[in-house]
This record gives sequence, C-alpha cells and structure tokens, in this order.
Amino acid sequence: MKFAHLIAASILVGTLAMPAASFAADKPVVGLVMKSLANEFFKNMLEGAKAHEAKRGDYTLKAVGMQSETDVETQINAIESFITQKVDAIVVAPSDSRALVPPIKRAVDAGITVVNFDVALDDKAKEEAGLKLAFVGPDNREGAKMAGDALAKKLGAGAKVVIIEGNPGADNAAQRKLGFMDSVAAGKLDLLDSRTAHWETEEANTVFSNMLTAHPDIQGVMAANDSMVLGVVKAIEAAGKTGKIEVVGFDNIPAVQPLLKEKKLLATVDQFGQQMAANAIDKALGVVAGGKPLEGWVKTEIKLVTSDDVK
Amino acid sequence: MDTTDLTTAPAGSRTIATTTKTVLREAGIGIALIALIIVFSFTPHFLSSSNVTNILTQVTINLVLSIGMTFVILIGGIDLSVGSVLSFCAVVAGTVMTLPGLDPVMAVFLATISAILAGIGFGLLNGLISAYWAIPSFIVTLGTLNIARGAALQVTNASTIYSFPAAFNAFGSKTFYGIPLLFLIALVLVAIGWFVLAKTVFGRVLYGIGNNEEAARLAGHNVFFYKVAAFTICGVLVGIGAIIYMARLNIASPIIGIGFELNAIAAVIIGGTSLSGGRGSIVGTLLGACIIGVLANGLILLGLSDFMRQMITGFVIILAVILDKYRERLTKA
Amino acid sequence: MAGATAPALADAAVKPVLALSGVKKRFGGVVALDGVSFSLRPGEVHALVGENGAGKSTLIKILCGIIQRDAGTITLDSEAYDPHTPGDAKKAGIQVVHQEFNLLPYLSVAENICFEDMPRKAFGMVDFPTLYARARKALDAIGLGDVDVRRPVESLGVAHRQLVEIARALMGESRILILDEPTATLTARETERLFEIIAALKAKGVAVVFVSHHLNEVFSICDRVTVLRNGQSVMTADIASTTPDQLVTNMVGRQLAAAMAAARDLDKTGRIALSLRGLRHPASPHAEGVSLDLRYGEILGIAGLVGSGRTELLRSIFAADLPLSGTLERDGKPRRYQNPKQAIRDGIGFVTEDRKEEGLILDMAISANVTLASLRKVSRLGLLNKRAETLLTQQLGGEIKLKYGGASDAVSTLSGGNQQKVVLAKWLANDPKILLLDEPTRGVDVGAKAEIYALLRGLAEKGLALLIVSSELPELITLSDRILVMSKHRIAGEVARADFSEERILNFAYKDERNHGHH
Repeated sequence: MKFAHLIAASILVGTLAMPAASFAADKPVVGLVMKSLANEFFKNMLEGAKAHEAKRGDYTLKAVGMQSETDVETQINAIESFITQKVDAIVVAPSDSRALVPPIKRAVDAGITVVNFDVALDDKAKEEAGLKLAFVGPDNREGAKMAGDALAKKLGAGAKVVIIEGNPGADNAAQRKLGFMDSVAAGKLDLLDSRTAHWETEEANTVFSNMLTAHPDIQGVMAANDSMVLGVVKAIEAAGKTGKIEVVGFDNIPAVQPLLKEKKLLATVDQFGQQMAANAIDKALGVVAGGKPLEGWVKTEIKLVTSDDVK
Repeated sequence: MDTTDLTTAPAGSRTIATTTKTVLREAGIGIALIALIIVFSFTPHFLSSSNVTNILTQVTINLVLSIGMTFVILIGGIDLSVGSVLSFCAVVAGTVMTLPGLDPVMAVFLATISAILAGIGFGLLNGLISAYWAIPSFIVTLGTLNIARGAALQVTNASTIYSFPAAFNAFGSKTFYGIPLLFLIALVLVAIGWFVLAKTVFGRVLYGIGNNEEAARLAGHNVFFYKVAAFTICGVLVGIGAIIYMARLNIASPIIGIGFELNAIAAVIIGGTSLSGGRGSIVGTLLGACIIGVLANGLILLGLSDFMRQMITGFVIILAVILDKYRERLTKA
Repeated sequence: MAGATAPALADAAVKPVLALSGVKKRFGGVVALDGVSFSLRPGEVHALVGENGAGKSTLIKILCGIIQRDAGTITLDSEAYDPHTPGDAKKAGIQVVHQEFNLLPYLSVAENICFEDMPRKAFGMVDFPTLYARARKALDAIGLGDVDVRRPVESLGVAHRQLVEIARALMGESRILILDEPTATLTARETERLFEIIAALKAKGVAVVFVSHHLNEVFSICDRVTVLRNGQSVMTADIASTTPDQLVTNMVGRQLAAAMAAARDLDKTGRIALSLRGLRHPASPHAEGVSLDLRYGEILGIAGLVGSGRTELLRSIFAADLPLSGTLERDGKPRRYQNPKQAIRDGIGFVTEDRKEEGLILDMAISANVTLASLRKVSRLGLLNKRAETLLTQQLGGEIKLKYGGASDAVSTLSGGNQQKVVLAKWLANDPKILLLDEPTRGVDVGAKAEIYALLRGLAEKGLALLIVSSELPELITLSDRILVMSKHRIAGEVARADFSEERILNFAYKDERNHGHH
C-alpha cells in the first residue's frame, strides 16, 4: 500500500507544480488541503467548498486531497507546494496531528495565513515548534458524548456496551473514543471491550461478530463512524439480535439513513462536513482581508441525529 | 552436484516412504489448523455454533479471493490488484443492482454478471500485459491496483451504494445448519478449483509452467495462453468475491477491499503454495484461509489487544513459511 | 594411459611455482578428474587442452577454490595449497579469468576493476579519485588507454569486457594467471593485443595457464602444453617438441569407441524426412546457414566444438528459436513452424541439452513428465485420465528400461541416466517421426549410456530419423550413420561411416584453427 501512496503523492504534487502565475492576480488564492477524497465525508466537504468558491466569487480555490486516511506524505508535499506557489491562505484538515506541524510552521513563517480545521493539531507539538494556530472545527469528543449519552439514556445505567474505534493514532478517533468513555462514566455503563476496525465496514462486521461471541450479552455499541455502523448492524442481523442491541454512530452518512428510519441505528452525529471547509475558508479570508487573527478553538456546529430527523 | 541417486532403495519401500511424505506434506497445514483450534477451544464460546458460523462467514471472502490467487501464484505470478478490483466490481455491480425499473431478480442477475465481467476485464488486462511484454506481474498489478481503485472512485464519485433488493440482503445472511450459504458457495468454488488443478490437462500444464516454463514451452504448450488464463480466472473469482461482499454487508463502496490482496496472498502461502510457483494446492489454500480466520476470531475471544493481535498474526505468517521450508526438506530428503 | 609421458628430466632444474599430483574429483557417480598431474614454472605460458568434458573446467575450479578436490596433492611454492574459497586463491596470488564474465554490468569500469578492494575514505565512503586513478593505471598497463574508466561496463563491447576482466584479475598481486578460453569472443586484432599482454606478464615472471580449443594459439604463444583426457593428464610436452597432430591424437585417445560400435545395416535408410536449405539461427554470423537432408531410419551425427552452432541448429529446426532465414521441408513439404507446438504436431521431438533447465519438470511426478508433450493422449475433453497416464508411463518405462519406484515419484528422485530416459520417454509418448537429440548422454553413467545407445539404435531400426548432437566423438562414431561437422554455424564437412575417425572429424572442427599453427 505504501507504494500506492507514493505514486499518488507524486501525481498530486505534479499537478500542484503548475505555476502560480496562472492564478488571477487580484483575487486571493486559498490552498485547501483535504483528507481522503475516497471518503464520502471529505468528498462532500470538498464539493461544499467548491460551491462556496463559486458563490463568493472573490477568491481562487486550489484543493488537494489524498488517497487514504493515513497518507501523510501527500499532505506535507501539498503544503510545501503551496508555500512555493505563495498562496495567500492555506486551509488544512491534518491527517496527522503531529507530523503536519513542521510544514505548517514553515507556511506561517512564510507569511501565509493558515487555518486548521476538522482535526486539531496537537497542542504539545505546536508548543514545541513555537507555532500558534487557532483551530476551526467541531468538538469530536463532545459529539461522541452526545451519541453516547443517547445510548446511555436509552439503555439505562449498568448496560453492557462496547466501542468500535477508528484508526489508532488518528486524532478524531481518539477524541471520539474519549467522548464515548465520558458517556460510559456519566451514564454508569458497563464497558466490556473496545477495539479498532480501522473505520472499515467489513472489518467492523468481523470484529463486532467476534466481540458478540465473546460477550453474548452486549446491549449497546458505540461506533466511531457510520461506515463501521453498517458492518455492526449487519452482524447484529446475522446474529438474530435485531432490536436487542442498540447502536450509535458518527458522521450521519447517507447510507445510514435507512437504518435510522428502521431504528436499527439509534443515533448518529452530524458535524455538517459540507460546510466545514467553507466556514474555515471564510475565516481564513477574513484574516487575509485584514481581520483579527483567530485564536484558540473556534467551534463549529454539531447535532445529534435520530430517527425523528429522518422523514 | 548431480542428483545421482546412489541410495537406491527397493522400489516398494520407496513408494511407501514417498506416500508417507506426501501425506505429511499435505496434512502438515491441516495439523497446524487443528492445533490452533484445540488451543482456542479452551476459551469460552469458541466452539459454539454461532461462533463457528461467524468464522465461516469471515473466512468466505478471503477464501474466494485466495482460490484465484492460488492460480496466479502457481504460475509464478502475483496479483496485488484483487482488493481494488473487488471494490471496482462491487461498485459496478452495485450501480447495476440499483438501476431504477429493474425487477429484483433481474437486477441481481445482471449485477452478478457485470461484477464477473469487470473482474474478467481486469484479469485479462493483468495477464495480457504481464505475459505479452514479460513484465513482472508484481509491477503490472501494482498499476492495476491503482487503476481499479481510481475507477471505482470515479464511477461512484466516492459515494457508498446501498439499498439493494431485500431478498439479496437476506440471502447474504442465510445459513444451513449453521453453515453460511455464502461459505457453501465458496466451498463449491474450492471444489471446482481443486478439480481444475488436479484433474484437468489445463491444471497440469499450469503446474508445469510454474515449475519450468521453458520445459513446458518446449513440450509444445502455449505459455502465453495459460498465463493470461490464470489471471483471468483470478479476475472471475474477484468478481464473485465482490458479489459475496455485497450480499454479506449490503453495501458497495469504492473504499472497500483495501489490503485484501495481502490476506489472500497470506492464505495461499500459509497453505503451502510456493511463491515461486509450481507447487501448492487449493486444499492448502482452504486450510490457509481457515487458519487466518480462526486466528483473527480466536485472538479476539482470548481478549488480546488489537496491537498484540496484529503482531501474532504476523508471526504466524512467518512461522507457516518456515514450517513449509522444513516440510520441503522432509519431502526432498 | 600408455600415451602419458613423464615431463622431461630438465624440469627438475626449474622449481615449479605450482605442482599438482594425482588430483581426483568426482561428482556423485561421475568422475570428473581421475589423477591429474601438472606443473607450472614461473614465467611460463602453459597450455591446457582437451576435449569438452576432459576435466579442464573442474581443474580450474579446484585451483581457484570454487570446489575442493577429493584426493591428490597441490603445492604452491613447495607448500601445501588447499583453497576453500575463491578468496583463499586470490590471497595466494592465483587469479582466474573465467569463460563466463563475472562483471557487474551497471557499474563503471573502474568500480569493476577495483571491486574486490574498493579504496575508502572516512565512514566507508568510496574514494573516487583513488578508484579512478587505480583503474586508469590498470587499464593502461594492458594497453587500454582509450577506455574511459567511468563508463558502465554494459556499454563496452565483448572484447573490451574480456580485457577489463583481465585488468581486474591483475589488480591483485597475481603470480599465477589462469585464462579460461580468453579468445573465444575476441577478433584476430584483439587476440593479438591479448597475446602482447600475456608476453608482458610473462616477462614480469607471472606464470600463465592458457586454456584454449584453438591449437594455433597454443602453438603461437605457449611454452609447454598439457593434454587432459577423461579426467587424466595424458601428456605434457614442450611446444617445440610436439605437433598439432600429436596433440589431437592424445586428446582423443586411441582404442576408444570400437567396442560399442556394433555394425548397423545402413541400407535401411529410407525417404528424406527432413530437409534444410540455408536454415540460419539468429545467433549465426553467416548468411548461408545450414543445409542438410535427414532420412527415415538414419542416425545423423552433428559434431563440432562448443559454440559452433550445433544446439542452435536443433533449436531453429524445432522453432524453439525462430530461424532468420532458410527453408525447412518435412516429407518434401515446405514448413515454417512458428512455435514448438507446431513442430511437435509435425512429428518432431527435441531432447534438449540441459534436462534440468529445459527438459524436465523436476519436482513433478515421472508420469507427469512422461506425458507432458502428449497430454491429449491421456485425456478426454480436457480431463486427465490418471490411469491411462500411469499405464503409458509403465509401458514406456518398460521399453526404455527405466528404473523407478512409482510413476508418481518426483523425477528429481531419479539418477541422471534415468532422468534422461524420462526425457526420451516424453517424446516417445508422442510417437515422433524425427528426434532431435542434444548431448543425449551428458551426465549419464556408463551403464545407462549403453542402454540409451541401444535404445536410439532401436528407434532408427524402427524407421525414426535421428539427428544427434554430441561433444563426445566416440558417441557419435558409435551411433551415427554419417557425421556432419559444424564450425562457426556452418557445415565444415561430412564424414561417411566408412571414413569415421576422430582425427578426421576434429580436422574439420579445427579447420579454421590449424591453418596458422606452427609446424
């Protein structure tokens, strides 16, 4: 897989190498560094940003995505390429909260306005690098707690639950797990097991089936994203326990809408990804136009979605 | 230097010795599987019927891909593209299956055909390119790995396809006496694969090419045809694997199947097929896939952490290959 | 052997730098060296000659530590010399330029020359200025002033590569230089240059062992000559006191062959089975190609030195390599085979020279190998009939006196002779009309050899047409009805059975070589 990433990286960098002169001189240029466009969530986010560019019409958008969630090189290369092109602002959703700090520092030092969104950079890494940067994005931990609390409310104290985690090492995965753990503590749930399924449907199906064998009395599942919810729900069906195990997820992707409707999924969390990049771009352009620099954590909207929200 | 055999044993005893060795060699991997099952059976629930159903379900997709991979590895090739091609076949089939206005039976039928055709397409591409220009299949399939993945993303615009006919979704979770229907399908494919490799002229020549391509060519066999055929067979099985994936999980998405090729290769190698070609069997591959499945399941039941689980799986792959070296020595001695 | 003569008494006056006595080596059942004695004086050029398989290569491998001898003594400067690795030999000052190149094609000339002892700087970095200077000096020393040491070796012609090999061999403190067929790839001019280099080395006191098939070269630069035959040293003499004819006689031996050569009824040969006109293999330097007629019931032998185009002739008939030009007629009808499959369909079989690389699938069962070229006969609708396969194997195995355990045993469990019989069986299973055989008894012990001879004769009696390439002249003389001698991808001459003699055949084979010999 590493090879594939390298190849993808070089292709993407190649497309970036286009001369900066091709940008319209009067409009500010915003470089958008996205995560995996193979993920529907980010694909939608990018489309939201493009619509936003067309709507505002007063800036030029250069967007770069990567091939998979863990493809750090591509993002670093993209930022370095944007520095070379002297863009006015870089809006970045880091794939790794530490590895991206040095290139972002270089961008800031080069006088580029940088806005960090979706996943926050690591505070300690920022401090060590002497980088001060605001974060624009949702509170994943808070979102996960909303979903977890919904589960706790439904099941009541003492209910036996498990967590299906995202990629180990990914910041949003870690935050969501913390949020679920908050709910476990607050709702006095009994956490039986917590394992990763690397965000993937098939792996979630396999891992959860096996967890269910080891703990046949599971009552609730907290999955760190909705792709994994699809696998979990299927495993519950296969075990003939539909309706006996409640599931909560995260992201509110289209594929889980039928599950919400059929109440196979209790709740998920919408962080309005479509607008997230656009919001961050707005904030960046504000600074470029002479506005006050951003500080701390600019939180964006999150919302719990249940069957009531599905028509 | 020469293999001049000076220790000429009497004909009869030699046959018995050879048979014993053959049995040991073929059974070796089976013994490993049984040992693994015995170890895990000390954990609660492992031998419960629902867990057996689970393991068989979880083994199915890898098993189907591994059958195709066995054909390719037997001729000394490798196919790194199966995971990506599976995803491409799935989104093609998913698109067809969700076409408006088709009645469910027709939709599933056409989707199955289109998944298999998509798999054949990529198999032909892999086979023709690597055989015609004599490019190592490692490189060619590394290329098609990216092509298929990109094509899958392009076709779907990165979105997940769902809402398949209810009957199709239900089909994926059907069991007979605890044995998943999908696994039974895979077993039928195993039987066909075994039959082709063990009982047909085609299979015999594949082994021959894997062992000594030049000797096979000089004996009048069209090496080019067989190479392309092996990759195409692999493509067919990937197409079937895609349908099985969809039946099991009720979605088709361009991001599924990542890393499946490595699991399939691992199953084939653990099953005793030589990575340099010419030696191995489908039965071995079946056992290899089962070992991987049992291991993944049993380690979770044991309560081992994710990271430990990954490490142990890695060790087992290496161990299997080392064991295979000893078996090889045993049969040659 | 009776022909062996002790070195002249005068030898005692000069102390040899290297002396071998009674050296023996066997590989499994095959005796490669059977008592070789040989001495090398400082500053002499000593030729080592003999037929293919006489033991020259084995002897060289022992001297440079690639393999170890089984018996006998070797002394270097009167001390026991027993190299276990090529490194030991190099340390002792013995350098070899092998027949096959050992160069690293993508590295520069300089890196190749200094590969064994790269000049280093701190942290193990290569000291390139020193590297280039050393390589330059080495090339200048052998008169290659015009070659840039930075060029990659792959960009050099074959002759230059050979000279780079020599330069590399001379990098160490070499006291003994062994050249294995150094002129095989050189033109006349380049050969002359090499000879000048050898003369210069000789003047410096380096002893040179010169292995060559080319007797004219032996007579033009060597001081002494040792002849090997069947793994034994049969003659050592000063060049001045011998003649090319004497060498050839000693290489061949006298009373061989006759015993095995049972008379054959030559009148049985029938129609022309295969007719070639100007068939040219891609590797042939000559446009005219090979022309010959092969009749049913005939055994036609092809003699010639290694590299004379014998194997290539068979490969181009069988379409294992497609011929560049020329025509092939089968039973009088023109044919242009595009691949071996078509040749096989047309009744041709090809027992290749290298059974391990081209003939057999070693790890597969005997029966699978026997039926490899005739799977149609043991299958229906693509399904194998294992019973028919086993029966066919047993039937053929009986005919060819194959000694084996079971039909399902791997071929690799058989001895060399029985492996070769399996290769024969593979083609016989197909009922061929023409059999091409390349070195049919290589690596086969004497008993199996006699059986294979009888088998081949029997096939000819049955009317098959046999075309046999062999480096063993006694074998060809035993088997053939007539012999064509090849030299440089052409037919150099034909010898009828009545006129068979090794001298006569070798005369044709060495035709291009002898004209310049000292006499």
